[in-house]
Amino acid sequence: SSQLSSLPLHILLYVNGVYYIFYFLATLAMIIYKSQVFSYPDDFLAPDLAVLFLMAILEVPRLYLGFKGNLTEAEAPLGLSLGLTVGSVLLCVYLLLWQSYVLWADVLLNAVLLAAYGLESGLKVTAIAAFVS
Amino acid sequence: PADTRDAAQARVRSAPAPVTDVARLCVCDLLVAQCDANCCCDPDCSAEDFSLFTTCSIPVVVGDSQLCSQKAAVYSLDVEANPPERIFKLIDQVNPSIFCIHATNYEQALYLKSPEIPTAENFDELLDKFGGASFSAEPDSWNLDTDAQNSSEANETSRYEYGVPVQTEDAFLRLPSPVVSSWCSDANPAGFLVNQATKCIRSVSVEKCDSIQALSMLFYINSSILAVPKSSQMVNITVQSIVVQSVNGMRTLLSSSEALRLPMVLDELCINAVLGVNYHITHTDTGEIIEAAAAFVLGAISREALSIEQSFEISFTQENTQPVPLSGNPGYVVGLPVRAGFQPQGYPFPAAFLSNKHSQLTILHSTSTQDCLAAQGARAPVLFGYNMISGCKLRITAAMKCQPLAQTLLDVLKGQSFPEYVASFGNSQAQDVLDWVPITQLHISEQMISHALQSSCQIPVSLGIEVKWTKYGSLVNPQARIVNVTATITSTTLKQLPSGREKIIPITSSVIFTDISSPAEPSYKAWPTINIKLPFDFFYPFV
Repeated sequence: SSQLSSLPLHILLYVNGVYYIFYFLATLAMIIYKSQVFSYPDDFLAPDLAVLFLMAILEVPRLYLGFKGNLTEAEAPLGLSLGLTVGSVLLCVYLLLWQSYVLWADVLLNAVLLAAYGLESGLKVTAIAAFVS
Repeated sequence: PADTRDAAQARVRSAPAPVTDVARLCVCDLLVAQCDANCCCDPDCSAEDFSLFTTCSIPVVVGDSQLCSQKAAVYSLDVEANPPERIFKLIDQVNPSIFCIHATNYEQALYLKSPEIPTAENFDELLDKFGGASFSAEPDSWNLDTDAQNSSEANETSRYEYGVPVQTEDAFLRLPSPVVSSWCSDANPAGFLVNQATKCIRSVSVEKCDSIQALSMLFYINSSILAVPKSSQMVNITVQSIVVQSVNGMRTLLSSSEALRLPMVLDELCINAVLGVNYHITHTDTGEIIEAAAAFVLGAISREALSIEQSFEISFTQENTQPVPLSGNPGYVVGLPVRAGFQPQGYPFPAAFLSNKHSQLTILHSTSTQDCLAAQGARAPVLFGYNMISGCKLRITAAMKCQPLAQTLLDVLKGQSFPEYVASFGNSQAQDVLDWVPITQLHISEQMISHALQSSCQIPVSLGIEVKWTKYGSLVNPQARIVNVTATITSTTLKQLPSGREKIIPITSSVIFTDISSPAEPSYKAWPTINIKLPFDFFYPFV
């Protein structure tokens, strides 16, 4: 039988993992920069930091389930990963649109991450369809 | 995440909206309804005014330059056209930096913080802080902190320093003084080593005479002073003397000041009310207070009086020293008397100088009668930096003898005890011999060339004291230092008058202060030298 695991999905998940580490550190550094340079009171800083850390916490199981589901050709983990991706997308949209200060660098980083999530979701759906049938 | 997302959706996402329209903002428009010169954005200027401008003082008006894209109003003058006209362009200025602000969701992001609006919750706190006549940055209570202070910290602050409030058992030593108006405020602490004298008005009434605390002696001496800050060593305030002032102003010193006299009402007068307190604090040279005494002036308040004036004074003396008023520390302060003294025993064992109030440098003080012989003894102290001239008129009759007249005039000009030395610095100590400058005495006699008679009478007619001073010390805080003092006596010949005739001669004395400081030279630190030394076994295998 031919191999059902999707190689592009695997590559994309791997690249996503590396990029996410860079994204997390860059966004955290920029929040620190913004809090020093601009007026950033605590009750506006706390939600932004909370969203960033929540996204980081979600990313780990999401990537793990994606890898596992793709390699074991099981649709349940892949489906769960897809659900977590929806959550990550919403948090990413928050950081893109509703942060207290959205810098141009923020727009770039979040746009790239959203594109990666979108492509990933497409590939996951294709892989689930392949596994189910 | 659910509530965060809800809260986020409640906020409106917006690009930072320009609250002020840059097209209408003009910083150089200062005159109302008039055209400002060279102000291209002024709406009051017409085209003819623009044709007279040479340049635009404000070429660009922008908002916050950290935004990624914003409107900018550009003003320029087109000098090629005839007549010159103003060009106004509204352009989009782009910030190329990658960290420019693309959007903000926080309305007050780019504005200054607005002050606290009083609400029902914070009103009391705001009233406490800002409701009084003055805002105080000090803590509200002056109580001793017995907690939170460990012993090592207490050891470091175990002495009083200049200006630190003198602490007592309950709060601090009060020196009532006028704060905003002339009414007495009891919240003024006395600072250590700060000699102060204050006068203020207190409202009184004879009926409540014994209940007003500030009128009773007990209020000023009941709490003992702490010998060192935050310690438990107490120094009681003793009553040094009591002076009773009667209703018509006459003061009597009471012989025994043991008994405490409290105010009481005695046939329509309130007697024993405190009219003045004079504190004398003795301290050691390590900042510890060892003695405190208060001298009181008590008086009587009549029924009609609604307020009385109280005067308070505090002075600090170091133990085992005689207080000598300094004229500067270390340089002389303009307006303070020049300190002078004598050397009691001369060469070869010069003892310390005697310097007290009676041996100041003084000059003749002009009186209203202007008669030299009548008003002898009126002297004025020489104040540093103040050039003075004074004089009197001498009536010479034929019967006056020369020598006694000359001696009298010398006394009039120089005074009873003309000092020999002047202190170089305002705080020169009597035992530092090198800090005292000798007064050079010169004698000039105006002799008529034609009359070369040696036996003629010479009488002194003027004394000129010239004090040469220089600026000493650092460039930013130069201290005045007296370098040279010269006293010049000018004498003139006195011709014998025919009998019955009188002559009036003016006698003058003057003091001049001359600044002989050389121009200041800033000195620079030497360049640091690089000291490189190789270790001695650097060339090991070869050496």
